[in-house]
Amino acid sequence: MTAPYETPAHATLAAEVARVVESVSGVAFLRPGLTDRLRSVVSRPGVAPAGVRMTRPDGDGPWQVEIHVVVLRRARTVDVARGVRDTVERHLDTLAPARSAPQVTVKVTGLV
Amino acid sequence: MTDRTDPPNTPSAQGDDELLPCGRLLSRTWDDWEQQTDDPHLRSCPHCRQAVHGLDDLESVVRGLQQETDTTAAAYDTEPLTRRIMDVVRLELRPGRPLPLGEPAEDLWIMEAVAARALRAAAETVPGVRAGSCRLLDGGGDGGDDGTVEVRLDIHAPADAPLPELAARVREQVWEAADRELGMVIAAVDIRVTDLVPTSMADDQEGGSA
Amino acid sequence: MAGPRTQSAPPDSRADTDDALLAVRAAEGDEDAFAVLVQRHAPALIRLATSLLGTGTEAEDAVQDAFLSAWRRLPEFQGRSAFGTWIYRIVTNRCLNVLRSRRPVASLEAAGDVAAAEHTTSPARITEGRDAVRELREALDLLSAEQRACWVLRELDGRSYEFIADAVGISQEAVRARVFRARRSLTQALGAWR
Repeated sequence: MTAPYETPAHATLAAEVARVVESVSGVAFLRPGLTDRLRSVVSRPGVAPAGVRMTRPDGDGPWQVEIHVVVLRRARTVDVARGVRDTVERHLDTLAPARSAPQVTVKVTGLV
Repeated sequence: MTDRTDPPNTPSAQGDDELLPCGRLLSRTWDDWEQQTDDPHLRSCPHCRQAVHGLDDLESVVRGLQQETDTTAAAYDTEPLTRRIMDVVRLELRPGRPLPLGEPAEDLWIMEAVAARALRAAAETVPGVRAGSCRLLDGGGDGGDDGTVEVRLDIHAPADAPLPELAARVREQVWEAADRELGMVIAAVDIRVTDLVPTSMADDQEGGSA
Repeated sequence: MAGPRTQSAPPDSRADTDDALLAVRAAEGDEDAFAVLVQRHAPALIRLATSLLGTGTEAEDAVQDAFLSAWRRLPEFQGRSAFGTWIYRIVTNRCLNVLRSRRPVASLEAAGDVAAAEHTTSPARITEGRDAVRELREALDLLSAEQRACWVLRELDGRSYEFIADAVGISQEAVRARVFRARRSLTQALGAWR
């Protein structure tokens, strides 16, 4: 999940998505965890933050977003996953309202 | 095992065995010593006694070496080693495949190993139960993939528990955890009791898990 | 790394869960179950590897390699033997490979002769104290890899010939022969006999 991005703007968008995902209630951190999270804070241009992959196969078409996330055990897992999906969809929509809805996949890779 | 450093032409002890003046092979005398064979010859023969004395002396030095090893081992902190091992293990995880969370079309997933761990923990809330293999298989019958999964869980049960009742309680806990904690749609929960644990032990375990 | 991960153990009690269950869980991808197995078996394995190799750092490396190999092979392991026996065998084999690579083949033929020729030390003194232990360590370094492994498992670790044969992957006969030769070299080296 550290695919190079086509443009710095692209990478910035992924970092932005990572930030909103981590603010979702019940999210512990994005996979693969603390070390990578610290690295992603440094935010090297062109490198995806850990746990977020954004692609646009059809050039200008809808975003395909895949999120890998570790969730707190005390929360209901599916609710957190839905929260992540809804948050990402909303966020991308506010950035570019005209676009067709993004396709968001959420994978829970750990419970803590 | 191809890189033998032993001389290939002496596959048995005979190659460097020694005939004692009393007519016995050294290897036999030592073997009898090791087996603590009750043989009058061993006690009376000076040659055998001398040979055994050599081993006794070696033994006393060996005990000294063991003590040194024990002292070193007792002082050894395995924590850093464990951490190093687990750091590498965590780079080589086997999460299994993604299984659907919520409704089939939602595109929300949980990794198999993560779900299995939660379901095992749920099974172990039943006193005395220990969970082993927890497989999550595609549900929906023959080749059907309707987004549901079937759970196959192996447990160790307390020996004195009525098994059908126990299995029902475990099934209930697993079902509830899948629904309330994870939010997975489970088509069936199949419990297999693979071992019975003596009750005293089960009590201890219960104390530990409470 | 340690932060979020150490909290990831579910609130069950693994400490009293037996090896077989933990091994099955680890085989199915539960790394926390594997961590318990590592903690549980590492002390004895470190002791074993130290006895086999004589040095601490090499012993640590051997045990670490053995556990990583076990983690990778667990899905195929399927509980054919007890986990403890299995990992013991892996560590033994790692150490054997280290011993084999350590010493050229030629040295052991000479070992017996040198030791036999050198027994000028007094048996009374040699059997006591740290000097004797040091000399035993040196004498162990002169054994062949197989002799040393068989002897250590037998004398220092108190294993049966059957167990050693299984762990080292040779016949019981061959184990007995190697233990005999090792004893012979060691008694001679210590000057404790004749």
